[in-house]
Amino acid sequence: MSKQESNPERRSQNRNQDTNGYEDMENGHRDLDEDDGRARATGEALVEIDDLTKIYDPDGAHVTAVENMDLEIGDNEFVCVLGPSGCGKSTVMECIAGYLEPTEGEVLINGDPVDGPDPSRGVVFQSNRLFPWKTIGQNARFGPQMRNAVDDDRIRELLEETGLSGFEDSYPHELSGGMQQRAELVRLLANDPDIMLMDEPFSGLDAMTKELMQEMLLDIWEEEDRTVLFITHDVAEAIFLADRVVVMTARPGQIKDVIDVDIDRPRDSSVLTSEAFNEYQKRANELIHDEAERAMEQKQQETQEA
Amino acid sequence: MSTRERVLGIDRRQLLGREVPLPPRALRWATSVVGFFVLWWAAVEYSFLNFGLFVGPVETLVAIYGYVLGDPVAGGSQSIYIHAAYSTYRVVAGVSIAALLAIPLGLLIGTSTRAGAGIEWNNYLSPAVESLRPIPPVAWVPASILLFPVVPVVGFSVNTAVLFVVFIGAFFPILVNTIEGVRNLDDEFRRAAQSLGASDRQVFRHVIFPSALPSILTGVSLGIGLGWITVVAAEIVAGNYGLGYITFQAYRLLQTDIIAVGMVVIGALGYASSAIVQRIANRAMPWSDIDT
Repeated sequence: MSKQESNPERRSQNRNQDTNGYEDMENGHRDLDEDDGRARATGEALVEIDDLTKIYDPDGAHVTAVENMDLEIGDNEFVCVLGPSGCGKSTVMECIAGYLEPTEGEVLINGDPVDGPDPSRGVVFQSNRLFPWKTIGQNARFGPQMRNAVDDDRIRELLEETGLSGFEDSYPHELSGGMQQRAELVRLLANDPDIMLMDEPFSGLDAMTKELMQEMLLDIWEEEDRTVLFITHDVAEAIFLADRVVVMTARPGQIKDVIDVDIDRPRDSSVLTSEAFNEYQKRANELIHDEAERAMEQKQQETQEA
Repeated sequence: MSTRERVLGIDRRQLLGREVPLPPRALRWATSVVGFFVLWWAAVEYSFLNFGLFVGPVETLVAIYGYVLGDPVAGGSQSIYIHAAYSTYRVVAGVSIAALLAIPLGLLIGTSTRAGAGIEWNNYLSPAVESLRPIPPVAWVPASILLFPVVPVVGFSVNTAVLFVVFIGAFFPILVNTIEGVRNLDDEFRRAAQSLGASDRQVFRHVIFPSALPSILTGVSLGIGLGWITVVAAEIVAGNYGLGYITFQAYRLLQTDIIAVGMVVIGALGYASSAIVQRIANRAMPWSDIDT
């Protein structure tokens, strides 16, 4: 109940100090602590997407990216959104992150509507977005530094866990793609977000590096309780990582089906050859095949019109 | 290999499909310089066009030696150092004022171009900027002489007309590059910073400004180059000091050695100033291998 009571207060705080989202984050933690921690068993929705519609109107083109989408993501859940390219997957993420405002419907976090970006909702982008003008160490420190709360020990620990110690003074362009992606994860984790929003973060990596990054992400997720929304167009990746795979249709993006992936955790790459995995993969492939075809036709049509 | 060569895949040792051995750097440098001097000497010696009226390279080197020791130049009483100091100070002052105004203005215009960024300052500022920008800076010289007087400042007479022309020359390249630097920032960097908890001010300080810095410094570098062009043009018309003044004065007095010396010194100072900017840029941006 305490959560409910404190909500209006938190919301007004949010409005008053839109520059300092950290206050919210702290309060968020406190509320949850009173609720006996972020226990998986509660089954409570952390993210609630309610009848979300997003229409883009660049020069009156009127593109419906997402239409009437409903989705609940539970606390500590790992959800993958799987869909063909251009189906509005990223739009969903951008609405949760607070970069976009829904045209209709709303996104609620702990019952509060999203009001702009917030450090409790960390984001990893498709292209590496480490700040090129900062060293790996400075990048890793960035989030805590913004509120003068750098914990050097934690940063060092994170860099060590991800095999990046010794590279604190390197600049991002001096590192390999996989190392850059790990550094970006460190930067995110240093901020200790409740929710990690990841938009095809590994799509630019080679197959081997990708597999290692997926395993590392699962380790990180299992170690500390976090909620992950992971967007991908890679069927195997989605099933390997997720508790639930949300399959989206081609534009306008809607939920086609949701697959509950019931494979034991902790998972490692040996899962990839199991029979259960193959079954899931087959099912997801069937679901997505037609949508991918439709998405391709849409793309072709647009190109012709342009 | 420079970035350009890497990108274009140029191997400079390939010529017509045959491997050409690369001579040592010093030799390549010497060949080029000596070649230039030989051409110059030959043109004067054999009176190519009106080159017979001009001074040859050897006399120029001798003359430089004399002026380096402090001989007064162009019928005046000042050494070339005084004139060089005047021109340098005008370039530094003019470009500095231009940078101090153009960088903040460019940041304002650049950041306000984005949708939803508050007042769209670019709409109010850009029309004036865009209509003045195509005017070549040298074309400002006559108007500047009329508009800007010589002002005494602590015992020195400051020719504000020359300063203004230098300022105008440097202002636009710095402004345009600053705006471009801000606009070229991918929105995801801004979003990443916001999602890590950065306020608008922090986003500006940690993301927008550093990302625009290479472009800004490119603008300053261009501005200094234009500063040297404009200072010489302005000094030829308006001024009693400066390298532009003495080269033109020397033309009137037909002292061709001073014309040549003036040109050499202007070139050397221009080269030195862009080298200094490059060094500052490299130090300020260790992450960037962009050549300014």
